[in-house]
Amino acid sequence: MNKMMLGRYVPGNSMIHRMDPRAKLIVVFFYVGIVFLANNGLTYAILTAFTFALLFLSQVPLSFVLKGLKPILWIMLFTFLMHVFMTKEGYVLYQLGTFTIYEGGVKQGIFISLRFLLFILITTLLTLSTTPIEVTDAVESLFGPLKRFRVPVHELALMMSIALRFIPTLMEETEKIMKAQAARGVDFYGGPLGERMKAIVSLLVPLFIHSFKRAEELAIAMEARGYRGGEGRTKYRLLTWKWIDTCLLVSILILAVILFLLRS
Amino acid sequence: MKAMNVRAFVSIGVFSAISYVLMLLNFPLPAFPNFLLVDFSDVPALVAALLYGPLAGALVELLKNVLNYFLVGSATGVPVGHIANFVAGMTFILPTYYLYRKMTSKKGMMAGLVGGTIVMAVAMSVLNYYIFLPAYTIFLGMPAMSAPEAKALIVSAILPFNAIKGAIITLVFMLLFLRLRPWLQKQTTTNHV
Repeated sequence: MNKMMLGRYVPGNSMIHRMDPRAKLIVVFFYVGIVFLANNGLTYAILTAFTFALLFLSQVPLSFVLKGLKPILWIMLFTFLMHVFMTKEGYVLYQLGTFTIYEGGVKQGIFISLRFLLFILITTLLTLSTTPIEVTDAVESLFGPLKRFRVPVHELALMMSIALRFIPTLMEETEKIMKAQAARGVDFYGGPLGERMKAIVSLLVPLFIHSFKRAEELAIAMEARGYRGGEGRTKYRLLTWKWIDTCLLVSILILAVILFLLRS
Repeated sequence: MKAMNVRAFVSIGVFSAISYVLMLLNFPLPAFPNFLLVDFSDVPALVAALLYGPLAGALVELLKNVLNYFLVGSATGVPVGHIANFVAGMTFILPTYYLYRKMTSKKGMMAGLVGGTIVMAVAMSVLNYYIFLPAYTIFLGMPAMSAPEAKALIVSAILPFNAIKGAIITLVFMLLFLRLRPWLQKQTTTNHV
């Protein structure tokens, strides 16, 4: 249950923390596209330098970043080895019996694993420096223009923030119910398949009833306080776009141009 | 959407949260590749669909994946796996919902779930062949799979996996449905949207 941590936000007051979440979201979005531009040593080096510069600016302790990397370590290793053994390009580096390792394979393996690493680093950086609620606000603001096409942006953002609010509560509740049922002799982790399904049902029934009650209470509380949708609603947290946000946006655009010019 | 009341979308939010939590409790099936995982996150979406209509079910599936993408992340950068999960959930829920509405009984629910399983397994096989597997190989930078290779993977892993996953969810949902049925019926008559 340890990995069931909601988000990985590390409170801080760095430049990256104080930035507008909208700017951060747009940058991450662009970044995911830009990473695919890199295809040689130089472009990957520039991209890596840029990413590490951002990491440094965020002042997030390195141990938190490393924790975020753990889940993809295996997939990185797997793709690396796959490329080393499967790609047959360039000159032969090493030969042992039927195994041949090509220079192109090693290079490709390093590049692709590096690409993974960069993806995870940038998204980890976003979640480490931005609260989930800020992300929701940013999403609502960025998709705001879609309201004109009758997309219920406000309602979607509200559902998302309600979900975010309830995830930790429900995790705790899940754990509590699992322990309560385990105390009654339910085995969640072993036993024949039929028994395990019954075990899951014994978790789901109280979980549904509880959360439905909570939803009902929240809905009544909202109605009692005069909630009437997004129109004319004022906000407690306001997003402010500062010059530094523009700077970051410009820097990612410059990065894109540089990568485009230097790619082979 | 305008007609949807506060209660409905608060519930959708809470159900998405349950769905997210259940998605984290996933497990692989023995003898299948470890990127194919079984979880019960489709169950809350199905309950939401039964209570508030198919749009609510779709929203739970959507929010679950959006939250998972933001909070957990994706190794491919572009959320191919999340899109695949969303599509799988939709192809399971919608047939189940519409079949159940035709026949609102225990038998109808069973028929709906079996129908949903079949539609999901077939649709995911076809979509994997044409969209998801090629997308994965592109984003993971692997050499593209040849047509017979992809077919072999789908027939030996993806099709049986989705069928088994559907069967497991069917059994769990049936057990759940038998107990929740009186409650569900009461909720739908008092809180219908």
